[in-house]
Amino acid sequence: MPRRRIFNPLTELLAAALLVVLVLVINRWQFSLAVLVAVILPAVLLSGRPRRIGLTLTVVAAPLLLSSLVLHGLFFPEGTTVLAQWGFARMTVEGLEFAALMGLRMAVFAGALLTATMTASIPELVSTMTHRGWNRKLVFVIGSAVGLLPHVAARAHHILRAQQARGLVVGGGLRRFKALLMVSTPLVTGLLVDASERTHMLEARGFSSTVRRTSYLPDTDSAAQRAARWAMTGVVVVFSFLWLATGAAK
Amino acid sequence: MIALECISLAYDDNATALVDVTLAVHAGEQVQVVGPSGSGKTTLARLLAGRTGGDAGTAFRGALTLEGTRLEFGTGTDPRIDPAAWSSRVGYVAQGAWGQLSMMSSTVAEEIAFGPANRGMPAGQLRTTVRDIAAKLQLTDLLERDPRTLSGGQLQRTVIAAAIASEPQVLVLDEPFQGLDESATADVAAVLELLRAHGTGLVVCEPLLPRRLPVDARVLALFEGSAVFEGPPGDARGAGLRRYGVGLEGAPPRLSSAGRGPTPAARTASPTPAGAAGAASVTPARAAGVAGLTPARGRPAGDPPDRAPGLPESRPKGDALLVELECVSFTYPAQPDEAPAGIRSVDFSLERGEVVALLGSNGSGKSTVLQHLNGLLRPVSGVVRIDGRELGRRPTGKLAATVGYLFQNTDQQLFERTVLREVAYGPRAAGKKRGAAIGQAGDALAGVGLSGYASLHPYELSFVRRRLVALASMIATQPLLWVLDEPTAGLDDEGRNLIGELIRAHAATGGGVVLATHDVAFAEAVSDRTVTLAAGRVLPAAGSPASEAPPSQ
Repeated sequence: MPRRRIFNPLTELLAAALLVVLVLVINRWQFSLAVLVAVILPAVLLSGRPRRIGLTLTVVAAPLLLSSLVLHGLFFPEGTTVLAQWGFARMTVEGLEFAALMGLRMAVFAGALLTATMTASIPELVSTMTHRGWNRKLVFVIGSAVGLLPHVAARAHHILRAQQARGLVVGGGLRRFKALLMVSTPLVTGLLVDASERTHMLEARGFSSTVRRTSYLPDTDSAAQRAARWAMTGVVVVFSFLWLATGAAK
Repeated sequence: MIALECISLAYDDNATALVDVTLAVHAGEQVQVVGPSGSGKTTLARLLAGRTGGDAGTAFRGALTLEGTRLEFGTGTDPRIDPAAWSSRVGYVAQGAWGQLSMMSSTVAEEIAFGPANRGMPAGQLRTTVRDIAAKLQLTDLLERDPRTLSGGQLQRTVIAAAIASEPQVLVLDEPFQGLDESATADVAAVLELLRAHGTGLVVCEPLLPRRLPVDARVLALFEGSAVFEGPPGDARGAGLRRYGVGLEGAPPRLSSAGRGPTPAARTASPTPAGAAGAASVTPARAAGVAGLTPARGRPAGDPPDRAPGLPESRPKGDALLVELECVSFTYPAQPDEAPAGIRSVDFSLERGEVVALLGSNGSGKSTVLQHLNGLLRPVSGVVRIDGRELGRRPTGKLAATVGYLFQNTDQQLFERTVLREVAYGPRAAGKKRGAAIGQAGDALAGVGLSGYASLHPYELSFVRRRLVALASMIATQPLLWVLDEPTAGLDDEGRNLIGELIRAHAATGGGVVLATHDVAFAEAVSDRTVTLAAGRVLPAAGSPASEAPPSQ
């Protein structure tokens, strides 16, 4: 069951994005670890769908973490404290520290953004942006993710089935890769043809109209949250500026 | 209310799509535009929808008059039509409801509200408008549903609801009944009748002349871009429009090869040559195509069991049934609040040389049964045997040489750059050398009368021709069993006749055909027997359907 929503999705997405900015600016593994343990982990656990987010997180972040560990842990040129050596590869304390810092940062990025996007209600987000008077084209791009992504996936699936019905055997390895290539060309062509038709449809339904767009869904945003969004952004911008300025002066 | 005077409309490749067509629609009137594929119906519908094509290199000469304002084209600088303003007065529902969705609405209510919201209608009024339209079109119970999960009829009604949200005076619909079963067709027809009663002028484009039309409707028949008939429905039915390729909806296809032949066994023993099919009722090109078609691998019992060079390995084995489904069940994954869909304990068999039609409403399980025949779906329980061999875990791709599959959605099965490459894909995938594959593809294209289109991109062809390319690409692999999902949906009279001929010719050479269709007249004319499904189960046959079905002409 999805969790009970407390904040507007726009507020949540902004908070996730600002958290990523802070982790980038502060650039300390202790801070990244603290954010991961104190913010991301509880957020995932309380999201109502921890298993699904956890799985996605593993699929997205694990290969990055692993490659970072191999790359920096074994081949870190600035490393001086050598723990072990195999030919060209040297495992150094500095290399492992750097790998840990990068790994933690990536975990925070992926954790914050995935949790926020995978729990956000896109219709509510679109409605909020419309009520706030955002550019309707930008709102469409975000909103069409609701329909277009599953549509693209379904279409790719149909093309693959048609190819199988005509003799394509989907196996492992190279064959699977070839099958993927075979699907992508007709998929993109089909989507472009659709897009051209859809442009006419959107125009006919008044999408290019210049008056302010209205929303069928009620506004779930509040004045307090709007103020909080501005405040959060202001605080992070000022803090980042000061942090970088003092860091640069040292 | 709206009037069109089209002196000519030509595309940038100089092909003239419409010549000397005039049309006027008043409040509460219905104009039924009928014509075969390529006759100009969609071009006419788009013109009325204000898409005069000036920006796309299309040259339109003539005039459009809407509520007393006359716009003249082709006499100097063309006036520019604002699509948003025009569509608020002339609603347009293009072919294919799926493509009409805004793709940013998560509910039917938001989809209906999309147009007025774009035009800045205040939120309160927006909700009232959606509620009123939903009540009128019996969509109230569906308002909170995701439009992508609706059935065909529900989706079509949603798209119509969205088109009338700005209360247009005229509604133009291009093939609104395509792919719908009888009850969904009746629902959509009732909605259109209601709109007409409220004073909306209707223009409905269809390839066939509908059986039921309001007595005061007017029929405009198009042929090669020109009007060949205009008058009341009663006169239209007696006007001999079939010579212009306009058939009557619900009429059986015209099969020159005496329709359904003798019993499968008799036909297998004494086959009708494929070349005998089709000459009388189809155009010379298409008839030549049927004549030139390579026969299926199955052959008369008396023939020696030699194999022509280049034919696939699999051959009919003795007296084995071509298809056997024993107590097959399958269930689709369902949402928690939905009843699981699928098929239950289906028994079904097909002999060589036999044509069987599956009938049933949308969602009755026809397509699910078909998808078990080439392993696109695998049964949860039960056994599927094709040509005497259990399907087991054999991949779908390996079955392609034995089982050819025509999908319901044409455009999702065309994926190559040219028509010839498209049709040659199957033989190539089956391991044929390039030359042999091209040869088989050429034969298959000749079979459907499309030899002259080999070098074009499939998307450059009309819907009916794309459908025939999909059929040719299935035929090119020379499969013994043809599995056809709604083969006649959206086809004109000629295309429907041609597919009927091809099916009979295939059966005559010992091949088997299973088709799912809503077109009962077609099913009865081309099949040896029909099997009806309801809620995932086979309904018991009453008597011997094959002997009861009327003979086709």
